[in-house]
This record gives sequence, structure tokens and C-alpha cells, in this order.
Amino acid sequence: MPDTIIEMKNLTKAYGSKTVVKSIDLSVYRGEIVGLIGKNGAGKSTLLKMVAGLVHPTSGELHFFNRASADGQSFFERMGVLIEQAGLYPHYSAFENLKLLAIAYGLPNANAQIDRLLKTVGLENSGSAKVKSFSLGMKQRLGIAAALLGSPDVLLLDEPVNGLDPQGIVEIRALIRELNKDGLTILISSHILEELSKIATKYAIIHQGEMVEVISADDLLHKCEERIELRLEAIEAAIPVLERELKITDYKVSDNNTVYVYEEGAQIRQISKTLIEHGIEIDSIHKHQQSLEQYFLARTEQAGERHA
Amino acid sequence: MLNLLKMDAYRFIRNKTMYMLLLLFCAFQIFGIFMMGQYSQEMEAGGGVAVGSLDASEFIQYTLSQPPSWMLLYITVFVVYFYMSEYQSGFGKNYMSMRRARIYTILAKIWISALFVGLLFLTMLVSDWIGRGLFFDNTTWGDAGYFVKLLIGQFLLHWAFAILMLCITVLCKNLLAGVIIGFVLALNIPGMLLGALESLMNGVNISQYWLVNTLVAVKDFNDAGEFAQTLLVAFVFIVLFAAIAVRHKIREDLN
Repeated sequence: MPDTIIEMKNLTKAYGSKTVVKSIDLSVYRGEIVGLIGKNGAGKSTLLKMVAGLVHPTSGELHFFNRASADGQSFFERMGVLIEQAGLYPHYSAFENLKLLAIAYGLPNANAQIDRLLKTVGLENSGSAKVKSFSLGMKQRLGIAAALLGSPDVLLLDEPVNGLDPQGIVEIRALIRELNKDGLTILISSHILEELSKIATKYAIIHQGEMVEVISADDLLHKCEERIELRLEAIEAAIPVLERELKITDYKVSDNNTVYVYEEGAQIRQISKTLIEHGIEIDSIHKHQQSLEQYFLARTEQAGERHA
Repeated sequence: MLNLLKMDAYRFIRNKTMYMLLLLFCAFQIFGIFMMGQYSQEMEAGGGVAVGSLDASEFIQYTLSQPPSWMLLYITVFVVYFYMSEYQSGFGKNYMSMRRARIYTILAKIWISALFVGLLFLTMLVSDWIGRGLFFDNTTWGDAGYFVKLLIGQFLLHWAFAILMLCITVLCKNLLAGVIIGFVLALNIPGMLLGALESLMNGVNISQYWLVNTLVAVKDFNDAGEFAQTLLVAFVFIVLFAAIAVRHKIREDLN
């Protein structure tokens, strides 16, 4: 069983009568990059703030490294946090901002680490320029450097590519992958699905404060892949025909009446003709392809309908 | 706590506003003494205090009792600015999830405010000495024991005011509101209202325990009772408002 780094159980946050995060259950395992997907205002930032210890949950439990958060807060020190805008002093340079943080963390001889981090995020030439003169992208990079200071085990990133130019996005994406390869577990939120799809190993879809679905990247890819959806009554009789007569091996039985055929080159006409020749009645057969956006919208619409 | 104190100290010594405030205070203090020198004869003739003949202790007591208390205004500006610059930048979010950071960040700022109050007192002593030397030709310090007790008492009262201001700023989280409240307190409007209220109620005398009233009242620090009252008021305000600020910070959601 993989190591559980973060475990949320019934995590809820209410401000007055408004509940912004409702009974969230989510486990983050060592080495994962979990993409938190949701529209603006879905509750992603509040959820991350609770995990980061910045916002107190109204109810529910948080476990870190298999220990309840109520046991003490020392595990929070193993987290790097970049939530919303990077928290930086505008009148200090990039180096001075990191230096202040290094002092707060009690890091000895931090200058070399700060120089290395500034190089990692591409700010090694920022010199004595004050943060107030930085572009939004530069501030985000510095925020990521601040989150990485102290070599955390877990990184919490809220919309980290906001304000970055295309090249910056590619660089940050490469950096996140690199950090993950080195063993860092990452919980990252975004409303840009395209971006998340390039790095996440697991997705958590959140809508109106509720967890709609937690799905692995492989499963999501499978769901969105081009496929032929076949609905019929006699599924037990159809499977041998698909395998023997049509040589189809890449398929999935979705439920008692549905088969998804992913086989490359499989044709609707050929499948229906062969099944009918074997006396198998088909209720429906059609090609299906869904983009990540369509999948996300479908899931959030379903969740919305449940609320209505 | 030491790490957060070091961090705030790093910020403190690089804080240009702090140096500007001290410089401004020094300049106005000397200018104030110059103006006193200009009108000292008229004041004496009118039965007022002979400012030129006061020793250092008496002079400090005299200037502190003149409203508005300028030192309180400088303390207000510094404390509100120092806390709000971190709060508004969101820098605290980088380290606030550390163990007991919410408690330690307030305690660190309490110590930093003590440092600022100390520097303010040092500036006052130096500028008073220069001003009195230049315009009154009088640099006498008076009784050393009394002088030390006066400084201890007034330092603690001013530090208590800084903690009160820190608490107000932590609660209201607004730079302008913090400064306005600080100015209202420095003008001792609550003290005046308390006095007015007392005059309507027979036998009630709580205004003497109000921090700013204690701070501006001319006292005999050689009198053990008065000195003890000063220390008591300072202690109660320091402990009470430090506790409120820490408690609020622990419960606060950092959005």
C-alpha cells in the first residue's frame, strides 16, 4: 500500500452560513501529482489553505504522514506553499525575500541554497531589483522558489502558472516534473485543464465545494480516449465474437449492457455486421470521443443537477 | 521564536521608515525645545513652569504631560506599519504554518516594538540633551535614581501602548483604521471620556488606571505607591493585550 502523505476526511469549511468546502475526502500518496480541478470559486484555494494550515477547518480531519493534524503542527514544516499570489515584500529583492524566509526557517548557511533556487526558477540575474518592479510571472517564480526553500516533502501550489508567459509555463511545468521525479509529492490546483493534464498523475474534481470525482490520470485518459460504445443485452455472447471474429483485445466492459472498444482500426459497420451475423441484437452503437474539458464540464454539470 | 524574532529584527534594521521616524522625532523634539526657549520668559512671567531650569527628569515629565503625546503618535505609525507591511504583502503565509508560528510572530513583534520604543527613548534623551544644551544652557540630569525609575516606568508604559496598538492592528487588519485609532488614543480622547463619565458617578475613580492617563500624569517616582501603580498599569496592559493579540492570531483564518 502506498504511503499516505495527506489524508482529508470530511473536511468542511464554512464562513458564517456559507459552506465553501463540503465534506471533502481525499488521499494524496507519496510521489503523486494531484491536480485539483474546479471552476473559479469552487473551493480549491480554501481547501489548499486548510491543508497548509492557514485556514482552520470548521469540521473534519486532516492527517499528515499518517498522523492527525491535531497531534501537533511540526509536519506543516515539511510543506512548501504557494497559494494565490506569492507572499513577498515589494520593497525587498528576490534574494532578500528568500533570506528573510530562510531566517524564519532557521536554515544555516542559506545563501548558497537561495542562489541555487533563484537559478532553478530563472531569477539568478534579478540582482538587487525590488520585487515591486517584477512582472507577475517573475513574482510567481519567486513564490515557487520560496515554497521550495527548506527542501519540503510536499508542495502545495495554487494556480502556479497564473501570469506566466508560454515559455515560463513550459519551464515551470518542467520544474514541477523534475521535482516530482526527485520524490516531491505535489498538490496543485488549476482551472486550466490542458495545463494540469500534462503533469498530474491523479485528478480531483471539485465543484461548489464538493468533491465530484477522484480519478487517476490513466483512467481519465481512458475515459476521454476515442472509443466505440456498444450497448446490447447479450454481453456474454458478444465478447467471444469480438475477440475471436474481430480480433479485438483492447476493450472494457463498463456495465452489464455496455462495452467500450478502444481497438485501433475497429469499425462500427464491421462490428455491427459481425454481431448481427451471430444473432446478437444491438441496442445502440456509436463512436465516442471526449476532451478533458468536455469530461470536466459533464461531471460538474451532473453535480450541479444533483444539487438542483 | 528566536528565528521569527531574528527575521523581524532583520526587517527592522533595514526599515527606512523606522530611521525616518526617529530622525523626524529628533528634529521636532529639538525644534520644540527651541520654541520653548523663545517663549520661556513669557511663560515664567505668566506663572508657568520655568522650563529652562528643569533637570532632565523634570523636563521629560513636563514634555510627556503635554498633549498630544508625540511619542505615542510615532509608536502608532511604526507598530501599525510594521505589522501591516507583513500582513498586506502576505509574506506571513510563507511561514505561518510552522509550529507555533502564530504565537511567535506576535511575540517577535512585541519584542521589536520594545526595541523601537527603546530607540525612541534614546532619541528623546539625546535630542533633549542637545536642545536643552543649545537653547537653555542646561544639561543637568538630576537625581540618577529618580531618573532611572522615571525611564523604566515611562518605557514600560510606552511599550504597553505599543502592544495595545499591535493588538488593535491585529484585530482590525487595516492600516488607516489602525493609525486613526492610534491617534485618537494618543490624543487621550478615551481618557477624557472616562473622566467625564466619572464626574457623573460619585466615588468612581478608574481613569487613573487608564494607560494614557497614567502615561501623561506627572508623578513622583520616588513615591513607592506611585511607582508601583505605574508598573501595575503597564504590566496589566502588556499582558492583557499581548494575550488578546496572540489568541486572535491563533484563531485567525489567513485568507
